[in-house]
Amino acid sequence: MKKKTNLLYKTVEDNTIVWLGTGNEYLVLEHTTADILKEISKGATVNEIAKTLSKKLAVPIEASIGFVLELETKFYKEKNSEKIEIANNHKNTKRPKDFEFIKYYKINDIIFKVSFLSEKELSFVHPKFAHLVIDEVIDFTNDFEVFINNNYIFLYVNNRFIGSWDNSNIHYFQGKFSMELIQKIHQKEENDWLGVFHASAISNGEKSMLFLGDSGNGKSTSLALLQANGFTCLADDFVPVDAQKQEVYSFPAAISIKKSSLETLLPIYPELETSAEYNFKRLNKIVRYLKPNNNDFFAHLPCTNLVFIKYEKDSKLSCKEISKIDAFQQLVPDSWLSSKKENAQLFLDWFESLKCHQLTYSNNEKMIATVTQLFDNEV
Amino acid sequence: MTKQLKNTPAISRKDALKKIGNYGKYTALTAIGTYLILNPQKAQASSVPTAAGTGF
Repeated sequence: MKKKTNLLYKTVEDNTIVWLGTGNEYLVLEHTTADILKEISKGATVNEIAKTLSKKLAVPIEASIGFVLELETKFYKEKNSEKIEIANNHKNTKRPKDFEFIKYYKINDIIFKVSFLSEKELSFVHPKFAHLVIDEVIDFTNDFEVFINNNYIFLYVNNRFIGSWDNSNIHYFQGKFSMELIQKIHQKEENDWLGVFHASAISNGEKSMLFLGDSGNGKSTSLALLQANGFTCLADDFVPVDAQKQEVYSFPAAISIKKSSLETLLPIYPELETSAEYNFKRLNKIVRYLKPNNNDFFAHLPCTNLVFIKYEKDSKLSCKEISKIDAFQQLVPDSWLSSKKENAQLFLDWFESLKCHQLTYSNNEKMIATVTQLFDNEV
Repeated sequence: MTKQLKNTPAISRKDALKKIGNYGKYTALTAIGTYLILNPQKAQASSVPTAAGTGF
């Protein structure tokens, strides 16, 4: 059998997680099955492997052979590497000369000039960063251009074409914009990041934890509550983790607050009363943006916990440690993870070190007290 | 081998662990042939909702 080494293995609880380099996929397997994959990669023959398996499981050799062959076909035969191109290659599109909106954003001491062709382009980016706006300046560090041409939205950074996306991939345009921003803030390239997580990140000044959960579960609301109670908001929605130290990096975007959370948050954040409201009809969402309380956007801290949070009306507070396999299963499909082998290994090692909890709450004070205990390792 | 679960976090692990017929009578094989396949996002994405309307 053909040798293949582009695999990584990590034992987690009763399973083995296998990373497949081709396709940057993660498998959750039984240990025995992962061992078969290892044997295949070492060059053992189907018959050898099947014989051992047949003895171990007391099943007929024919069934074992069938099983090993099927496994090999599934994970070893070169997959048709259909590379999904999300960004299109439209390098030759003419860049506009005049932009209707030019904004200057200051992040720490770095100034970004961002030119938007019209209000439409502005609406995709600006609301989340409006709190960083400064008056026009002559000296700026980075020059971003955003324009729509022929039903594609284009991004240029410092005169370099980054990509173009159609309307259905606007969230990838926004993701790339944020990625370019974070790379410029921290002087890192894409390969220097382990991944970007769809989460909220909070810190107590020494370490951080990520809050995860489907939209509507209360990630951003709990983040807003926590930042009013002594914690720092490191990032909302877009949480970068670096490869070198596996630390959570702060991201300067504002926290999006849904209309349904206003009642809870208005007493703490009266400014939300008058802040602009954005109606995203397609997603049936009305949101306002709340400034993060972090003022050091160079901050990065180690992460100790993943907390799957859920606000459930009238529920009793519950905080329990959950299976890491369940956590992994929820985490991976919602994240961008670097496809570089070294980074995939670092990601697996990092994940292994995290504690994973499910926190269900309805009472805000109790939720805050529980998060404090989680930070203090008292849960 | 059993069914694959691709990018469907809403489905619980229990739902994903379906058995297929091939090894039905060999429960040991069915058990070790149960797996999950998880695909990360292909690019960085934002969940920031997009503005109203269709098309640009």
